[in-house]
Amino acid sequence: MGHRMRTGVSRREFLRRSGLTMITIGATPAILAACGDDGETGTGGSPTATSGGTPQAPDASGTINFLSWEGYDIPVDSMNAWKKDHDIEVNPTYIGNHDDIQAKIKAGGDAAGYDLITYYQGYMPLYTELEILTPLDENKLPNLEGMFEFWASDINNFWINSEGQRIGVPWTWGSIGLTYNSAEVDEMSSWYDLLDPSLDGKIATVDDPAGNFNLACKILDLPSHQVPKDRLGDIEDLLSQFVRASRGVSPSFGDMTSKLVSGDAVACFHGWAAMNTFAADQGLDTVETNIPDEGSHSFCDAYAIPPTTQNPDAALAWINESISAEVNAEAAEYLVGGVTVEGAVDLLNEATAGLYPYEDLEGLLELAPLAINAPTQSDEYVTFPDWLETWQTIKASA
Amino acid sequence: MADDQGERLALATTTAAAERGIGGRAGGRERGRGLALVAAVPAVLWMVAFFVVPLGVFAFYSLLTNAFYDVAFPLTTDAYVSAVTSPLNRTLAWNSASVGLTTGAITVAVGLPVAYWLRFVAGRSRVAVLFLITSSMFASYLVRIYAWRTILGSRGVVNSVLDRVGLIDEPLGFLLYSRFAVVLALVHIFLPYVVLVLYAAMAPLGRGLLEAGEDLGAGSSLLWRRVILPIMAAPAVSAFVFVFILSAADYVTPQFLGGRDGLTLGVQIQSNFITVGNWPLAAATSILMLLAFLLLFLLLNALLRFRRLHDLRIQT
Repeated sequence: MGHRMRTGVSRREFLRRSGLTMITIGATPAILAACGDDGETGTGGSPTATSGGTPQAPDASGTINFLSWEGYDIPVDSMNAWKKDHDIEVNPTYIGNHDDIQAKIKAGGDAAGYDLITYYQGYMPLYTELEILTPLDENKLPNLEGMFEFWASDINNFWINSEGQRIGVPWTWGSIGLTYNSAEVDEMSSWYDLLDPSLDGKIATVDDPAGNFNLACKILDLPSHQVPKDRLGDIEDLLSQFVRASRGVSPSFGDMTSKLVSGDAVACFHGWAAMNTFAADQGLDTVETNIPDEGSHSFCDAYAIPPTTQNPDAALAWINESISAEVNAEAAEYLVGGVTVEGAVDLLNEATAGLYPYEDLEGLLELAPLAINAPTQSDEYVTFPDWLETWQTIKASA
Repeated sequence: MADDQGERLALATTTAAAERGIGGRAGGRERGRGLALVAAVPAVLWMVAFFVVPLGVFAFYSLLTNAFYDVAFPLTTDAYVSAVTSPLNRTLAWNSASVGLTTGAITVAVGLPVAYWLRFVAGRSRVAVLFLITSSMFASYLVRIYAWRTILGSRGVVNSVLDRVGLIDEPLGFLLYSRFAVVLALVHIFLPYVVLVLYAAMAPLGRGLLEAGEDLGAGSSLLWRRVILPIMAAPAVSAFVFVFILSAADYVTPQFLGGRDGLTLGVQIQSNFITVGNWPLAAATSILMLLAFLLLFLLLNALLRFRRLHDLRIQT
């Protein structure tokens, strides 16, 4: 049987304070892939990196125009104190869908003025093509030293591009799983168990095209970024079955949780361990999440600085602080997520520390690797626009 | 005989209404015309800046080439071709039309008698009832949508009551995540607006008109058919169009209550803009939707005009 992820009831204030019920979609965070460290690692230098000297965070102040999920602006005590000490003010624009980020930046142009965004690793190829990610000066990010080796590495160029330039700093992550109400159904060892006729109309799906396609690829044992065009139909067929078995696609993970709590659903395709806690916060403490035998995928969100920034030093200082052990741990508790800083694990409360097996991250990431989204253009492989357009069809006509 | 009676009744009531209207407005209209033009300038400027110009930009974008979260030259009608030939768009357009037509028809059909009751029957309780009708507008749109989920869900109020009285063994699945749920929620959301519009439109329909009709021997059915409905036709059509457009174009309610058969074209337009990054297709679909709404409006307007001419022919 697959890996089981449990969360105790910890951050009861999570929903109340962050409204992350709307965390959705593309929130899906992301994916940890071939987690096995290939040893190439290395944090390639950025073109703006200062040579030599001890890395030091910029002594910046002012306003940071933030564009990402509510809660990703880390409204926790340790970060609030740092902001106050450095006279930093955050002006947030919250998104309802990961795609809001590229939509707002591309539609707004330079006038958009955003200083800080997040992206989950699957979006790296798209954001690279759209020129949304700028190189980060590692000499201004001294806290990179404290990260787990895997998260600091250049694995799949998620955070360090092929030219060796750092383009993102991963700071929170999690794994996608099969989330179910254990009071209603038994633990399921296969994603296909969700298609049992007895569950018809009782499962929930989420409007996260990238996440769903990555998961479908994993179930079908296809490399998500290199799916031959003639296999798109197989993915469409599979996802259609899950959507048909549900009664409509939820706009968010929070909405899927609501369906579990209200009894309108008993299990979720493309669930998330954090939903255990979300449901407990709403009075249902029997929600659990496991990773079925076919596996799943993981996600990791990274901070990045778009070309629209007006205050890059303040954004860099923020990013550096987000990967201090104390802030990283407090943020993980707040967001019910994983930490990327080694020293943060010991600072986690029991529930958050038990969320993911830090002692066997490799095992988890082998079962639920960080996926790569399809390429934006290809004559040979299914493309990212193919995913998106196919998903629209599935939603409406499954 | 009945027709003669109806014609005389219509002539009498229409003449009375016209005389009162002319008498009451003639002087004021001349004096206020200049002032009205000046007063309209801010609204006109506002509409030009924030509706006409953006609409022009939209139309321009719809003719550009898709460049994935961007647009490029050359100008092309590809987006329109895609929008029209897409089977998915046709399915969603039908869903939108179905939701809009049903919601519009129900709100007007329910709202008209309520407005009549408020105007002629409610008496002292009018203010209290008006307050109750409008009070649902105090709650936010999303709260009302979630309230319907609580009412219609598997363990919701309706299913629980039906289960308790032994009418069902299993929850009724069609209540939620269906087109039915979308229409129900939209009717709830728009009904107060329709009642207010129709109630206001009934102001010129004085009790004297109805009494004149009754004096001429009309029963309630004939009064409705030959006096009330002809006078209320235009505002009722306005209310219908208002609800139809907002319902058919809504993309929030369908996502929360709609299920698979409740998705609308509005959801697809939003997805094309934000998720798919095909701006020309989204703009073209929007423009086509706007044209469809405009066509409906013109058709209904023509119908009203035809009806009016028909009535005048009868009277003369």
